[in-house]
Amino acid sequence: MSGRMSEEPSGANLEGETPVVEDVVETDEATITDDAELERTLGLAGGLAIGIGTMIGAGIFVFPGLAGAEVGTAATASFAIGGFIALLVALPTSELATAMPKSGGGYYFISRGLGTLAGTVVGLSLWLGLVFATAFYLVGLGYYALDALAEIGIVVGASSGVIVSALAVLFGIGFTVLNVTGTENAAKLQNGIVALLLSMLTVFLAFGLLDAFGFVDAGTPPGEAANVWEVVPIMSVAALVFTSYLGFAQVATVAGEMKQPGRNLPLAMIGSVVIVTVMYVLTIFVSTSVFTQDALAAAGETAMVEVGRQLLGTAGALVIIAGGLLATMSSANASILSTSRAIYGVSKDALLPREASRINLKYGTPHVALGMAGGPVIALAATRQVQLLAEVASFLHLIMYGLMCVALLAIRRDEPEWYDPDFQVPGGAVIPVVGALASFGLIAFMNLRSILVGSGVILVTVGWYLYYARDVRLKGVL
Amino acid sequence: MTRVLVPVEVLEGKTVSPGLMNLLGTVDVTVLGYHVLPEQTPPDQARLQYEDRALDALEDLSEEFRTAGGAADYRLAFTHDREQTLKRIADEIDARAIGISGMTGDVDRILVSLSGNVTADRILAFVEELVGDRDIGVTLFSATEADATEGQLDSAAERLRTAGIDVRTELATDGAPFGALMNAAPGHDAIVLGENAPSIRSLVFGDEADRVASASVGPVLVVRADETLDGDQ
Repeated sequence: MSGRMSEEPSGANLEGETPVVEDVVETDEATITDDAELERTLGLAGGLAIGIGTMIGAGIFVFPGLAGAEVGTAATASFAIGGFIALLVALPTSELATAMPKSGGGYYFISRGLGTLAGTVVGLSLWLGLVFATAFYLVGLGYYALDALAEIGIVVGASSGVIVSALAVLFGIGFTVLNVTGTENAAKLQNGIVALLLSMLTVFLAFGLLDAFGFVDAGTPPGEAANVWEVVPIMSVAALVFTSYLGFAQVATVAGEMKQPGRNLPLAMIGSVVIVTVMYVLTIFVSTSVFTQDALAAAGETAMVEVGRQLLGTAGALVIIAGGLLATMSSANASILSTSRAIYGVSKDALLPREASRINLKYGTPHVALGMAGGPVIALAATRQVQLLAEVASFLHLIMYGLMCVALLAIRRDEPEWYDPDFQVPGGAVIPVVGALASFGLIAFMNLRSILVGSGVILVTVGWYLYYARDVRLKGVL
Repeated sequence: MTRVLVPVEVLEGKTVSPGLMNLLGTVDVTVLGYHVLPEQTPPDQARLQYEDRALDALEDLSEEFRTAGGAADYRLAFTHDREQTLKRIADEIDARAIGISGMTGDVDRILVSLSGNVTADRILAFVEELVGDRDIGVTLFSATEADATEGQLDSAAERLRTAGIDVRTELATDGAPFGALMNAAPGHDAIVLGENAPSIRSLVFGDEADRVASASVGPVLVVRADETLDGDQ
């Protein structure tokens, strides 16, 4: 099995394109190919900023109201469970990523570990999963923009839902155009935004906790959310809010550009999951201490704004609105970037037309892939279906997460000679097995409609494989 | 032998002026073809599309360098960060200097600045090797105000004269060091200076605007500090 000769890439897609695979040397600073060098320019801070920046928008600023309304303070358990599952997957992902530090992330590992069918399903699901996630972030952004308008005195009447859709679509178009035409490096900006958000939240949560335990009295009403400490509701909330944990896999999509990947990839992935889990659990605890379930349900997507207002008055509300705008923007933007890398990874392997990874000469940006990300995002954002978008995004990612755990087991069993990860998951098969079971298991707690849409997407990707890429062979090829 | 790194943005249609090629005829050259990508674009993706075109251009360029006299090879890099790539490759090939291209014809006289924290000895050794036995004049320039400078400038000039080079000296005592250097530039076809000299960082590593501004003064050769010796680096 380990002989590379028998596992050369082979086969062509419907258009006769074959996978581009070549020998490269990976160093801490660059990827050296036969004729060119690809600089690794992303440090640990950049990796953490992608992970945290993608995740924090959803978990802190969109879900507390929705989750608290369902199960009250028990939602802290939902978030803790989500974080635990994410960690179970982040560990195997880290091992795979340090052995294969390439663009494409989860798709890459699964196509090499489990073959072309699983690879196509995951590659296309990663693209579409990111599309659903980005649409979800944009709708969250739309709600925050609406609140911002209200705060400065522009009140829209009964048609506020339409305004949210319009705002989400406008932002979606804006981000897509910016990504196609923008040549300024926004990475430093992203790092700054994440640092700002984290410090803002730390202060806010510290104050909220002091209030919750009665050390300070911010004059919050005594309403505390009733708690539903029951397994099924807690798990279904965990399934809903799991979208808050999708960011660590985005770190893997830029693995090819990370400096010292053996050290920085595991730190960035595991570190970002741990940091956001703590933040989420505390945020839920604070918001459900301040408000009753009814109040949280009434405030909906932007419940955090009301929590801020209760704790710190108008200033608190403004801080949360500003934070929510920044956080959902950074989530949406980071996801669009990852989407275009996911599409590139798949099209390099001839699972999508090579045309999809074209770069335009004028801006040096992958406009086709960005369009394939932005177009469907805009359409989905217009639907304003927060729960559906979030759950389908989670569904598609969870399939990938489960399969990544399986891929780790398969690759460890096959032991190809190139497999030499810098980071190894401790405890043998336990973590990947539990990770796979937990990932697939969480899907069962989703809303039926989300499961149907998600399964439909998976079926379409299988159909695409049969139609387009049946003859491509990827398994075992590095 | 002494090696100079010449970074060229080949895919942007940039090239190396014949004057700089001839000037570098006495040393080995590594041409670094590089392409800076926005963060939306994975470097690997750009490579797939542009590699062949870039390699063609680099083959031609290094062939021209060989014709001009020195041994020449090339590297091709796709990056998000020009400065990081330049540093890495300069370190890997142990480049004594980095050559920033600018338009120039035949080189008759070069301006050599001894300002900055690269030892004069290292700069002079490089200039000696660069000029060789060719008929290229050298103007030694310093903008430091220290009393010892004039003496240093004279002894440096003496060293180059011993090597058979036509030397003038110029000492600027007022004004900003970088401005003084630019004022001294007319009448010279290229500038040699030490890494970390005042405002040189932006000249080598700075953004487009800085480099365009610097292009008006012709080619610049930046002698790199010897990091094993300069403890303060």
